[in-house]
Amino acid sequence: MKKFWKSIYMIIMAIAFASFLTTGCGSSKEEKPVLNIYSWADYYDPEVLAEFEKKYNCEITYDVYSNNEELLAKMQAGGAQFDVIQPSDYMVSTMLKLDMLEKLDHSKIPNLQNITPALRHPKYDPNQEYSAAYVWGLTGIVYNKRYVKETPTSWQDLWNPKYKGHVILLNDCREVFSLALKKHGRSNNTTDPQQIEEAYRDLKKLNENVLAFDTENIKPKFISEEAWIGQMWSGDAAYSYTENPNLGFVIPKEGTLIWADNLAIPKGCKHKDLAEKFINYMYDPAVSARNFNYSRLPNANEKAWPLMDPAIINNPVLQEANRYLERGEWLHDIGDGIRLYDKHWTELKTGN
Amino acid sequence: MNKNGKLLIAPSLAWLSIFFVIPMLIVVAVSFASRTTYGQVVFNWTLDNYIRFVEPLYISIFIQTLVVALITTVITILMGYPLAYMIAQLPKKWQQPGLILCMIPFWINFLIRSYAWVIILRTQGVLNTLLLKAGIIDMPIQMLYNEGAVMLGMVYALLPFMILPIYVSIEQLDRRLLEAASDLGAGPFTAFRKITLPLTMPGVAAGTILVFISSLGMFVVPDVMGGAKSALVGNLIQNQFLSARDWPFGASLSIVLAVLSLVLIILYYKAIQAQKGGERDAAKDVA
Repeated sequence: MKKFWKSIYMIIMAIAFASFLTTGCGSSKEEKPVLNIYSWADYYDPEVLAEFEKKYNCEITYDVYSNNEELLAKMQAGGAQFDVIQPSDYMVSTMLKLDMLEKLDHSKIPNLQNITPALRHPKYDPNQEYSAAYVWGLTGIVYNKRYVKETPTSWQDLWNPKYKGHVILLNDCREVFSLALKKHGRSNNTTDPQQIEEAYRDLKKLNENVLAFDTENIKPKFISEEAWIGQMWSGDAAYSYTENPNLGFVIPKEGTLIWADNLAIPKGCKHKDLAEKFINYMYDPAVSARNFNYSRLPNANEKAWPLMDPAIINNPVLQEANRYLERGEWLHDIGDGIRLYDKHWTELKTGN
Repeated sequence: MNKNGKLLIAPSLAWLSIFFVIPMLIVVAVSFASRTTYGQVVFNWTLDNYIRFVEPLYISIFIQTLVVALITTVITILMGYPLAYMIAQLPKKWQQPGLILCMIPFWINFLIRSYAWVIILRTQGVLNTLLLKAGIIDMPIQMLYNEGAVMLGMVYALLPFMILPIYVSIEQLDRRLLEAASDLGAGPFTAFRKITLPLTMPGVAAGTILVFISSLGMFVVPDVMGGAKSALVGNLIQNQFLSARDWPFGASLSIVLAVLSLVLIILYYKAIQAQKGGERDAAKDVA
């Protein structure tokens, strides 16, 4: 028994010593403020981040999450302290209701003016008081011109019996219901059970055409021509087009869903000043152009577009999305309304 | 048990209680909680999540999951038993390599192997290209995103879990019993049915439990190879946590699944015991 306690004691001592060493190291260097960014993967050019570190004499830590729920869970757990986060549109409204976001001081972030006007007054935060659009996209119809001869114009085209077994839908409840609701001219935020029911019955019929539901791996399905037509985010479609030029992309006339991932500062962050400088830096046209040349994502910063790689900017998919930006409707957090959607979503997947 | 023995198990006990018992209790607690409008968990000790489960929709998903798990188990037994038997019959020096061949797939992450199947089976994939080039078919066959593909993925993923325990029990079989049976005039088939099969049942039982339980919770295969078209319980639970933001309902589904598997294991175990007992009685009768 004695030996056991002795070894435990040794282990504790070792840990204490190790932590002493690391903290010792930290304090011997000059104190640099640390900016903690919690965001999606591959959203920043590492070189741009390094420049910011140099310019403002700070260190950046860049942690990533894979969905909004993960971000919310971590913020609610409270243990993690972040200075800049990147919630999507509906998550901004959730976080505002939970009072989790700090107001953005526009006088300190003048570059917010560079954001394209169509993204400057989103419904979830009409005056950009708490969030700034960084990356955005629209959901549209992607199709392969080799198999789909008439250019699609409406969501209704997915129901065409000719495409039976060749349609791919996003594996996302709200996205799929959004297309059916829009087809009937409804809002994709409706909580009216009748409208949801109507969309569900229609989707049940669409099921016969569906080859698969996919979100993460949808690009290869279209690039390798496994699928002919389907629902896709403009960013993914732009990428797929560069790999397979047979692909076309349209924003259906009935309207669609628009999304944006936004820069925001969480309440109680430790380096608000630095976070504001960071946001301002990211909307500087030259910096932004380089940053988005790296990530190849759709840039919300209008002033950076002329400075970007023309191959990215002139991608016909992104141009189509740009042209019809106002056809998009933002998703909201619909609270308990999600239950009915989720139930029908489950039903949709048990029918066959 | 002496003092040293207790000390030896202390680390694993601590490990289990921290990483298994406590999380399990948290899941149980959450399953009796409810969700606020914005998805936070409030502990108000309600049975709502369990009441919500008792609905044809969710019951039918459970039944479908059970059916898929059952079929997977039966196929893995039918395929795994002969393979394990064959490996056990190999000369000693070839047995180890044989087993290693069964284990090699584990060197690669399961998700990646699922995508490898996609590359093989898709319409522009390896298999269809081969068949087209060979002139056996003139139109690619849709092999993916259907029930068959899900079954294939499940059996592929879980077959090694059936082979290994069966191999162990066949390997431990006392060959002299078979010689005795043959001396007493039993043909190979009778000897297999009366001696090998009953004596290797523990291996089959262990394999069955491993395969059955694992297939109940599977959600990668239906998503990747089944095109996410048919939801199994695993997908339903994943969805509650990741997109419906309804942790309490997801937790209650997990608890129902865990209890269900436990009950089935106990029943199965009892059945095996009863069968064993029956055989012993039969043996006594003969004697």
